[in-house]
Amino acid sequence: MTLLTPRASIVVPAYNVAATLGDTLRSLLAQTYAAFEIVVVDDGSCDGTVAMARSFDDARIRIVQQANRGLAGARNSGIAAARGRFIGFCDADDLWRPGKLAAHIAHLEDNPQVGISFSGAILIDDAGQPTGLSQRPRLRGITAAHMFKRNPIGNGSSPVIRRTALEDIAFRPRHEELRDWYFDERLRQSEDIELWLRLMLSTDWTVEGIPGLLTQYRVAAQGLSAGITAQYGNWNRMVGKLVPLNPGFFAATLPAARAYQLRYLARRAVTSGQGDQALALMRQSFAASRLPLWEEPAKTLTTLTAALVLRLAGPKAIDLMRRQLRRRTANS
Amino acid sequence: MLRIAHLVDDTGPGGVTRYLDFLARDPGMQAFAQHEVIAVPRANPAIRPIEADIIVSHLAITWRGLAGLMLLRARNAGTPLVHVEHSYSAGFVAARVTARARFQTLLRCAYALFDRVVAVSEGQRLWLVSRGLAPAEKVEVIHPCVDLSAFRALPAVAGPARTFGLIGRFDAQKGFDIAILAFRALSGPDLRLNIYGSGAEEQSLRAAAGTDPRIRFHAFVADPVAAMAQCDAILMPSRWEPYGIVALEARAAGRLLAVSCIDGLRDHAEEASHPCRGLSVTDWTDSLSEMTAHVVTVPRRRASAPSPERKTREGWLGLFESLTGEVLRRSPHLVA
Repeated sequence: MTLLTPRASIVVPAYNVAATLGDTLRSLLAQTYAAFEIVVVDDGSCDGTVAMARSFDDARIRIVQQANRGLAGARNSGIAAARGRFIGFCDADDLWRPGKLAAHIAHLEDNPQVGISFSGAILIDDAGQPTGLSQRPRLRGITAAHMFKRNPIGNGSSPVIRRTALEDIAFRPRHEELRDWYFDERLRQSEDIELWLRLMLSTDWTVEGIPGLLTQYRVAAQGLSAGITAQYGNWNRMVGKLVPLNPGFFAATLPAARAYQLRYLARRAVTSGQGDQALALMRQSFAASRLPLWEEPAKTLTTLTAALVLRLAGPKAIDLMRRQLRRRTANS
Repeated sequence: MLRIAHLVDDTGPGGVTRYLDFLARDPGMQAFAQHEVIAVPRANPAIRPIEADIIVSHLAITWRGLAGLMLLRARNAGTPLVHVEHSYSAGFVAARVTARARFQTLLRCAYALFDRVVAVSEGQRLWLVSRGLAPAEKVEVIHPCVDLSAFRALPAVAGPARTFGLIGRFDAQKGFDIAILAFRALSGPDLRLNIYGSGAEEQSLRAAAGTDPRIRFHAFVADPVAAMAQCDAILMPSRWEPYGIVALEARAAGRLLAVSCIDGLRDHAEEASHPCRGLSVTDWTDSLSEMTAHVVTVPRRRASAPSPERKTREGWLGLFESLTGEVLRRSPHLVA
């Protein structure tokens, strides 16, 4: 049976993840869908990542090794090595619910126009315990504007993608001699949204979600506040790259998308205890567009309040507020 | 002789009109059938009775025109109906259609009225079939063509590209803005970018060109041979393109050719000197700078390979034979 070409591949980019890779692979091997392979891409790890992957000794696991190229580079190598018609991605610290692969493949097989199938997620902490937060995105009727503003796919371990859709957006920069690129390896942090958006702006594939929180997505306890400015820079670079694809689209949606991105960064600043920065980001967000206030008033006002409380009353007050926040869903 | 009625709703200058000229005038096409091009209103193509053995629609499919197509089918119940899809492709839908499910329903309904759907490229056929818009057995690929002899007569380009050319309508579809920005990132003072055409995007293209003295806008040329004669390299950074006849002409003229790898331009990518995978400005700057360093003569078609004209003729011949069940007359013109 295992000699047959698998119908699906799950690409697991792995860089120094010996501590979490075992749980990830166990959750993938427990998939109820029958014919799949796992492609672990060791992205130049120097801990026991490869040994951990080998220790499974399961014919469904293939290991690809390369010098460090970053997350996008690892995923691209995984796609190049994958043999399935459907390709899922699971980062090496996240987990899949047992029925996830089967549900996405049924969705893709029943809907020939769907290029990317995704689902919601439960957020887990470093210990693998649920944080009480979840991603419950919009599932249907997703336009490029939705994608740009709210990224319903949510995280890199959520989508299962039709290979033909990936081939439609493959490219190869001049200096690349080994294989094609799908994710843009020149981008950091925005490589996911860049691919989803590029697919929606340059092909007619539909992006659609299925019900259920089928991914367990790990969020680090303490986001580094120093990264927030850099992350915004990366987001702007991503936008600058994509504008020529459809200048009219960006003229219409960029202000609102920028406001949402700044609101997201403000929430990250709140999480890492940076009151001044959170407030400044919310101010910039409102300056870019008021649309988040109309489209998602509760979340926008909660973020603003949290930033204010943190600035005026300090982190203790925020802890109190966070308990309230947890009852809400976190989309990004 | 077999009588073919080609229905068209757009007789303005452009690729479709030139293709229809070829179908109606090429001696090889006339050898096995008699072709008549009939201009009809899009909303009511069956307004007058059509005397023909096969009716070929070159119409643009729209919701408004759907009832007219149904009437066309009803009034010609016994006549094979063929539709040539000149307008739509995956890239078109990506750029222009928000209600995608509704648009796909329109295409499925319209194609169901025809006995065959002719895709103008392999890239477009893949789209039609993979999205379930038409059943695979109903779709055939016939590449459009024009009389290429004048392009073949141009001396081929040897050596690096100095003068780049953009030829066509100034429309977001053509992606000329991408090529202009990519060109401006090149430093060579002796490089030139010639832009031939007209259209709604002229102001924004001129703005993108800025004050770069190396970029020149030329009026629309009815004869693309003359424009191509002035260029070493032709650029086609289209955002969507069901086929892209300019690529065919550039290849026949032995020009360096850069195409974006989308839709029908994928059919040209194998033969083009510089297929550009990616639509970002940096991807195109890379391609342009490679073209400025290109030193090999652009290979033209091998003598043994069939000409594009012949492939188009044989495509139609085969389609007509399978629709009528008759063997049609071959003539020496077919393989010319």
